[in-house]
Amino acid sequence: MEGSRERTPHSGVVKRRSKSQSYRRSIRTCFGVASGLSLTPALTARRMNICRKAPRSQNITEKVKPEHLALLVKTEWQLSYVTPLYQFRHTQLKTYARQLSAFIAAEKQQGLAVEVGGLQNTFKVSFSVLQGLAETNDDPETVLIQVQSKPMFARQEDPPKTVWSGWLSCINGNPEYLQSLPKDFTCLPLFCSKGAEGLSSLVKSWLQRTFDCCFGPLDINQTTLQWLAALWTNCHMETNIQKLKMIWTLPVVPPLQVTYTVDSDDALELWRSTRESSAEKSRGAEDEVCIDFSEVTRFMQGLMSHFYRHFRVDLSAGELNQVSSALGSAKLNGKIKISSSRYLISIFSLLTECALLKMPI
Amino acid sequence: MDNLAKHLLQRLMRRIPASMLQSTLDKWGRLTAEKRKSLDFTQSKLTITQELVALCEESELTVKHITELEMIYDAHSVELMQFKEQFKSHLSELKRNVSVKIKKHTDEAVWIRVAWGDGLSRPNHLKATYVVHYLQTPYVFVNALSSKNKPLLLQALTLSTKHQQIKAANLSGQKLTALRDLLMRQYQQVFPTKYPSPLPESDQSISKLRIEKVQAEASANRHRMAGETFGDGMLPALQSAFFQLETKFKDPTNEAMTQRDEPFICSVKFSSSNLLESLRHCASSGIASTPVTPLLSSIPLKGRNYFVITDNVPNA
Repeated sequence: MEGSRERTPHSGVVKRRSKSQSYRRSIRTCFGVASGLSLTPALTARRMNICRKAPRSQNITEKVKPEHLALLVKTEWQLSYVTPLYQFRHTQLKTYARQLSAFIAAEKQQGLAVEVGGLQNTFKVSFSVLQGLAETNDDPETVLIQVQSKPMFARQEDPPKTVWSGWLSCINGNPEYLQSLPKDFTCLPLFCSKGAEGLSSLVKSWLQRTFDCCFGPLDINQTTLQWLAALWTNCHMETNIQKLKMIWTLPVVPPLQVTYTVDSDDALELWRSTRESSAEKSRGAEDEVCIDFSEVTRFMQGLMSHFYRHFRVDLSAGELNQVSSALGSAKLNGKIKISSSRYLISIFSLLTECALLKMPI
Repeated sequence: MDNLAKHLLQRLMRRIPASMLQSTLDKWGRLTAEKRKSLDFTQSKLTITQELVALCEESELTVKHITELEMIYDAHSVELMQFKEQFKSHLSELKRNVSVKIKKHTDEAVWIRVAWGDGLSRPNHLKATYVVHYLQTPYVFVNALSSKNKPLLLQALTLSTKHQQIKAANLSGQKLTALRDLLMRQYQQVFPTKYPSPLPESDQSISKLRIEKVQAEASANRHRMAGETFGDGMLPALQSAFFQLETKFKDPTNEAMTQRDEPFICSVKFSSSNLLESLRHCASSGIASTPVTPLLSSIPLKGRNYFVITDNVPNA
């Protein structure tokens, strides 16, 4: 590999510095970065990486409290991106919790339908820090927001039920971009939410007006889904992923769904064979775990050609909607589930990258 | 019609049960369709008999015709009666405490409802198994059958229908009528023709671009082949097809995998609100290359939607 490489501690991401700007520009158009952006120095650093370090199984239970991890794994989150927050202070969390509670109560009184468990509920909001998820010095700490509901006539001993939770995070965010932001901005671009849609809107609404930020849906595009298929297959070397399942939809009438499930050992062998044929494979220990997107493409093409050989149906005419394995599942509509905390950091680093690419500024 | 004929007819009508009346008359065929339609089968047997006698008189039927009717009924009923009795007795022999109800519908379908109990408990009517058998066909449709009771039911069915063996047809779905139509090809078939009709020249005054013409021909060919494989018009509604693939990986660009001896294990499930229409559309739009691969054409051809594919036997 040519050029120098930058590595930050615990980073799961390797960037390739190339010599000419035109090469960089062409890579950007390849991966669908919003066109019409002007080429300021901060922006050229934000592009979808075409080279990635393979996720390694990390035991993060030492860094992150097990009860926090339990909140995050084995549950399906809806993804959004959010622009940097203005004057957000990690020290003011109790104040924010009070303000958000009041906001939700006020909106409910106004008749905005929240519809969680009946009209007599009171909502209690809590903000907390999930320490240990931030990987680099530039990553702000992850913030968890929970909304708990207590029915009006509940007994004292009844524990309040969590009806909505969401968290803002930045895991292995691009350091150049993070450092380029003005002082008062906190960048937590990845927003994951779970619970009633009405409450999601209220929380986003409050965050928008309090921190002058913007939310948008983070769809997991075809490229990212393909990355996940390859990365999860790669993980099979360390952890049994049981099966690699992919769901496509074909644009016919009525729509046809194709669920293609591959045995994990066979998928891994196919993956290995595509890596071996990679012309750029060098012998260094670090390079062995660096995965190029062209390898991902070859892997997917191998799977699709096996399919074509039997059914003579071209899967690329359709759209990949979902990829799942024992390690988790990812859907095109921006829903992600991580089943194992060991790969949480790697997957969310990938998602942080996707969120940063969506920044309009 | 003389008195003997009338008498015979009345006596015969007393024998024929109401549920078999319509189908027996249809089989007989001596009364025109209009006349048969004019009979109201919801009335009492006596009224129907009177109307039938009147119709037969109109058609000037004789004793010979009535005896014909009697023979048809006898053959028909014996078949059904035998089946009913044999099935009940076989099943009761195999398992105690089963409750069996058999009913024949007018469309040649025999519906059987089995509530299972065992030596200790009474038959459970909440979880009954339904079986539908079309008498003249070798097909049986089963719903809600536990694996414990399966061998018993299948044995009783095999013996009572006087067959030697029963095996899974590997076809399942949500609509009984769709499965039946698929198996018995009761939907619009398109037969392959060696010389399909030429494309009508719609606009002879304007010379078409060559590309358009070639595309139109290709499209017409795809549509034709799609229709020949799957059928025309409305297709029976299947919801899914499942293929378990255990074949070797063959890709000229990937030597390492091609040289492997072991099969590449994977499974493919196609699902849709109407699978056959989706597949037909795939073929006609070019998403599926034509001619359609035998794996997909087996679905309508063999009336199956569960397949295990290995290298040695293409359609196990």
